[in-house]
Amino acid sequence: MARIKIDHTKCTGCRHCEIACSLNHVAGVANPRRARIRVFREGTTYFPTIAGPFVDAACTSKNDLIIGDQTYNMCLICRASCPEKPFFIEAETGIPLKCDFCGIPPSPSCVTWCNSGALELVED
Amino acid sequence: MYGWTGRCLRVNLTKNDFQLEEISQELMNKFLGGRGLGVKILYDEIDPTVDSLSPDNKLIFVSGPLVGTGAVTGASCNVITKSALSGTIACAKLRGHFGAELKYSGLDMIIVEGKAEFPVILSIMDDKIVIQPALEYWGRTTSETENMFKNSLSDKWAACDTYLLSIGSAGEKLVPLANVINDGFLSVGAAGIGAVMGSKNLKAIAVKGNHSVTVADGNRFVQVVTTLINKLNSASLTSQSMSSWGSAFLVGLCNQKGILPFKNFQRSSFEESKQIGTEALSSAFALRSRGCFACPIACIKKTDVNNPIFKGKGMAPTYLAIGALGLNCGITDLTDIGMANMICAEMGLDPIASGGTIATAMEFSEKGLLSKDSIKLDLRFGHGKDLIHALTLIATKKGHAIRIGQGAKAISEEYGHPELFMGVKNIPLAPFDPRAIQGMGLHFATSNYGPHHLYAYTFIDEVLNVHEKLEPWTIEGKPELVKRFQDITAVMDSLGLCNWSLMGLKFNSFVPMINSCLGTSYKAEDLLQTGERIWNLERLFNMRAGFNRSHDILPERFYNEHIADGPAKGQISKANEMLDDYYGFRGWDNKGQPSAKILKALELEEIYGEDKN
Repeated sequence: MARIKIDHTKCTGCRHCEIACSLNHVAGVANPRRARIRVFREGTTYFPTIAGPFVDAACTSKNDLIIGDQTYNMCLICRASCPEKPFFIEAETGIPLKCDFCGIPPSPSCVTWCNSGALELVED
Repeated sequence: MYGWTGRCLRVNLTKNDFQLEEISQELMNKFLGGRGLGVKILYDEIDPTVDSLSPDNKLIFVSGPLVGTGAVTGASCNVITKSALSGTIACAKLRGHFGAELKYSGLDMIIVEGKAEFPVILSIMDDKIVIQPALEYWGRTTSETENMFKNSLSDKWAACDTYLLSIGSAGEKLVPLANVINDGFLSVGAAGIGAVMGSKNLKAIAVKGNHSVTVADGNRFVQVVTTLINKLNSASLTSQSMSSWGSAFLVGLCNQKGILPFKNFQRSSFEESKQIGTEALSSAFALRSRGCFACPIACIKKTDVNNPIFKGKGMAPTYLAIGALGLNCGITDLTDIGMANMICAEMGLDPIASGGTIATAMEFSEKGLLSKDSIKLDLRFGHGKDLIHALTLIATKKGHAIRIGQGAKAISEEYGHPELFMGVKNIPLAPFDPRAIQGMGLHFATSNYGPHHLYAYTFIDEVLNVHEKLEPWTIEGKPELVKRFQDITAVMDSLGLCNWSLMGLKFNSFVPMINSCLGTSYKAEDLLQTGERIWNLERLFNMRAGFNRSHDILPERFYNEHIADGPAKGQISKANEMLDDYYGFRGWDNKGQPSAKILKALELEEIYGEDKN
């Protein structure tokens, strides 16, 4: 099964993937809030995050992720379309969004436009 | 309407009031948006002789129609006003994400008028427009301002999507060298704009929105952008050199060609280039790329990874910073240059203008024309600590740095040697020796925005030979080349595209992207004509502000002193010889005044009528 491999050390934070996603799902509309991939910035690092499963309740516990000497908020880089945060939910309709590997196969549209090497399609 | 949002926010800070306006379709067709639209509005709405720092001057923030659509390198937002440093029209190019977010907040343009009674922040968050008091932000550095504002938001998730543009203490204190900073990026060509923002008591603008930007032919647009990304990827400059080191890779190249100025343009060769080349840069900063919105090149490098001094902040110095703050001040220590660059970004100084100013002061003190006692500052070529100390004092307007902070032209006149000022139209030269690169020299002399290379990057053809193979030292074909690049840049700025993409793409290859995005059927010539229209309008503004042929001239040093050493030894500037040819290509008379014929051809005749009155 094909998967998208994310290497956050390579991400430049240009957010071209967000627009690729948006343009592919609604023809002619560029809007990062409609994208199913978002690039979040925490400290000095960028985390491309692909929308995942919809949950109807928020988690009851919060986690921190420690990489090196930096602490990251796990909620920020969590991929769930979650009621706790406004991402991956279409603003007008409230519909939760989820990645569907859009675009011309083999590569999803975000991978096609990612030029930094942060997003890559890998086969298991 | 595709690409454009068609809406403009007009804020009057004196009345503490704002209103939303529609932008007419005719204006957008004629001036495209971005820089073109801003220049038109400024030309129509202010008197060019107005005092830059008075409430009558206006400040226009405007994004091009391609910004935010996903067009390759479509990130550039322009700030247009009358410059506090030069008195000419000024146009900064903002990088990063501010321009795109402005579009997502449903606006193409913000016009700021008047002067607030006390420091304010203009906040445009999800269609809620607030002019909020910002007393607690006054005096803060730009990164502090950004963090404080984001922390003050009750919704921490909203902070992730908020982008800020702010001034540092230099702008607040009306230092003419001040710049505006957004998202940690120093903006390009913004000398004199920070002070205008400070004079309006506007500390920052914050934007966030959830509007969409629409594209005319979505499917075709996606195809064209994919093709352009691949093209940028197959060009070695954009895929390797720029991606690995940013524009700093030009340092070695310029040194080989004798273009790199040293010690206030006294010399143009530098033996120890290894200290400052790409390898040294990599080891000093452990570079990591950061991209502006929708940019596949990602030429901006962060400094934070390994070097403890820069932990968590700052960008690695670009060619500009290394040239202007470093070598032109005789400084070769990359840590010092990086520190100076960071001070510029945090305190809001323009690196070219402040580097050039300090280099001038250093030459004065080297020649014994300026004693340490008279300015109470040590300013010696090659001493990084002197540079850093002077920058901090200039930005906070402390002590004797007040005089230096008035700019290179002002000090060179005050101390009786105006010939030591290396600049045009009161703005110091970008770090390229015009004797060794003739086309750029002519551009420096004639540019509407002062001698800044990114308003006509002829370097691409003269040295890098990307589109055409030309020699840097000859003058054949240069006036035409300069005109073409000036027009191309005006169009690209107006659309919101970054100049660096010209290193990998021809201007013509953008045309399908522009048309599929905007639903137009422009040809390259139509767009170039629009560029020419914008350039002429800027020229008319400057002429009414009192600039003419006598200001289209390089400093005497470049005509009188041959380059003393290095690969370009013996070269001298021929910009004066080319000036008449250049005016001819532009359709201007020998005083540099655009003729009635060319203004008619460019559909600017009604303005010519006004001019006659």
